[in-house]
Amino acid sequence: MPVEIPKDKWTGKVREVSFGATAADGGTRSKSIVVGGDTTLPYMQFEAPTPHTPVIAVEIKSRRPEDWSTLLEETWGDAMNDPASWAKAAEAAGADALVLWLTLADTPEDAVKATKAVLAASALPLMVFGPGQVEKDNELLVAVSEAAKGEKLVLGICEDKNYRTIVATAMANGHLVSARTPMDVNLAKQLNILITDMGLPANRIIMDPTTGALGYGIEYGYSVMERLRLASLQGDGMTQFPMMVTVGFEAWKAKESKVGTGVPEAWGDWKARAIHWETLTTTALLESGASIVVLRHPESMKRIRAAINELMAA
Amino acid sequence: MYIIGENIHIISEKVKEALTARDSEFFMDLAVRQVEAGASAVDINMGPRKKDWAEVFPWIVKAVEQVVDVPLCIDTTNVDGMEAALQNITKAQPILNSTSAEPERLEKIPLLAKKYGAKVIALTMGSSGIPVEADARVNIAVETLIPRALEVGMPVQDLIIDPLVLTTSGCQQYCPHLIGAVQMLQYAWDPAPMISVGLSNVSNAVPNENRPLINRVYLSMLMGVGLQMMIANPFDQKQNDVIRWIENKDTSNPLAAVYNKIAERTGANEEPQPEDFDMSDPEQLAIWKTTQILLNKVIYADAYLNQ
Repeated sequence: MPVEIPKDKWTGKVREVSFGATAADGGTRSKSIVVGGDTTLPYMQFEAPTPHTPVIAVEIKSRRPEDWSTLLEETWGDAMNDPASWAKAAEAAGADALVLWLTLADTPEDAVKATKAVLAASALPLMVFGPGQVEKDNELLVAVSEAAKGEKLVLGICEDKNYRTIVATAMANGHLVSARTPMDVNLAKQLNILITDMGLPANRIIMDPTTGALGYGIEYGYSVMERLRLASLQGDGMTQFPMMVTVGFEAWKAKESKVGTGVPEAWGDWKARAIHWETLTTTALLESGASIVVLRHPESMKRIRAAINELMAA
Repeated sequence: MYIIGENIHIISEKVKEALTARDSEFFMDLAVRQVEAGASAVDINMGPRKKDWAEVFPWIVKAVEQVVDVPLCIDTTNVDGMEAALQNITKAQPILNSTSAEPERLEKIPLLAKKYGAKVIALTMGSSGIPVEADARVNIAVETLIPRALEVGMPVQDLIIDPLVLTTSGCQQYCPHLIGAVQMLQYAWDPAPMISVGLSNVSNAVPNENRPLINRVYLSMLMGVGLQMMIANPFDQKQNDVIRWIENKDTSNPLAAVYNKIAERTGANEEPQPEDFDMSDPEQLAIWKTTQILLNKVIYADAYLNQ
């Protein structure tokens, strides 16, 4: 007996957002990346095709991080010593885009230097995030934004306590912003309204609804993402933004991935576990609607690439 | 609309100060003004007063009863304090605020009501919290709250079921279900218990400038499904206008017509429609947007009116 699969029809659509400017658009990137445009729940290909393949971005730092897992240090090796060589290594490992995360120790000159070095070393579209302290973020990102005018960077991180300066500089220099809120649909929507109220076109916002790693609140993260996607499809204009999540940052904070000693033997091989942690966290969030996932380990990238290929082919 | 005036509440700084100073004039004035503004009863929330309840509860009810004749609604979690208040009330039949379906409160409060002939507000909330779905809340009333009242020998008419208003800022999915619960509770028992809600809870955690609008629009929906009693601010003139317009089916001005239409639609289990509103009028547009967040159609954000 033929079974008819019921199909949902939605009225709303996630906005298409593109970042990274090629020479034709006045930048130096090898390609632009487009995300969003979804008209149904993630990977319901029988209802509507997923318009754009999800993006794997790799997190690199402006200075060699002191607190990263030795597993990550082993795999990236000396490339971690400077952002240009790290960017090259990340591109070689298969990244679609790069996230340059600045640190508190950086001066505006350091931030500009690191950004320019990364832009020169790799032609992938770039996001640049501040260290997460209001004054420092503003100081560094304004300098970076001006120095990389026209590259269509994604500048982050806008939060409800600090978005005006970053949005203003993004508007002035042709960049996008990442709008981050702490796992709350109401706050996510509120920040989108506040940012668009300033005059930044809505197709230059990517929202980061924040997540927790597997075992550390991921269910709150994906519930919020699911709710936001449903609201988008139902026509709520101030939720219709593609979503990014900084999975590597979250997954490598978890004890399960960060450390190999002082944990029960039954947990098994450390490296295998750590990669699983990042990979499983990522796949769950892709299926809840993430368009951009920011990862740390090359092996996780490979596995996520394979998962994305299957999801897109289904 | 039977309004239990909510303004004597310890959360207010002025009330806190007046209580510390035992300023009975302050409380007498606030009680009188609420009744003059249309309150049919006066809520008295002094908090639990764990240390000085034996002195505070008798003092406050004696003070307020000097100047008003309406029922006093004793709003506290302190059962001893409640009884101390009851022992000193001499005028109208008091209201106890509140019990829930949690075993300990449900054990004690109805007995107290029976002993003193008081009414009881009973919340549709069990030990495991507040259910989202309307029928789950009605079930708590029918399976737990009403049987307990009957068990202690209280008339069902002395039971006031409160199906619990939660805020649109964070608990948005509860808002439409509460409307359903108010509607269903009226047919849940014969004779029907009274139904009351704490209206302004719907705008908890909402910026102050938007609270009255959200309260008014929700009120019009709840009146549409037959709400006749609530704990609310009797000084809110625009809210009082809405009550008057809907009670009198007064559609003589555009806003009155809009609020009546919302009530009518809600009562008929329909949703307000865009054509019910003159969207070129900013006030009506704001009311329309507010219906959409209250019905959980559009996600709430503090700046939802700017969208």
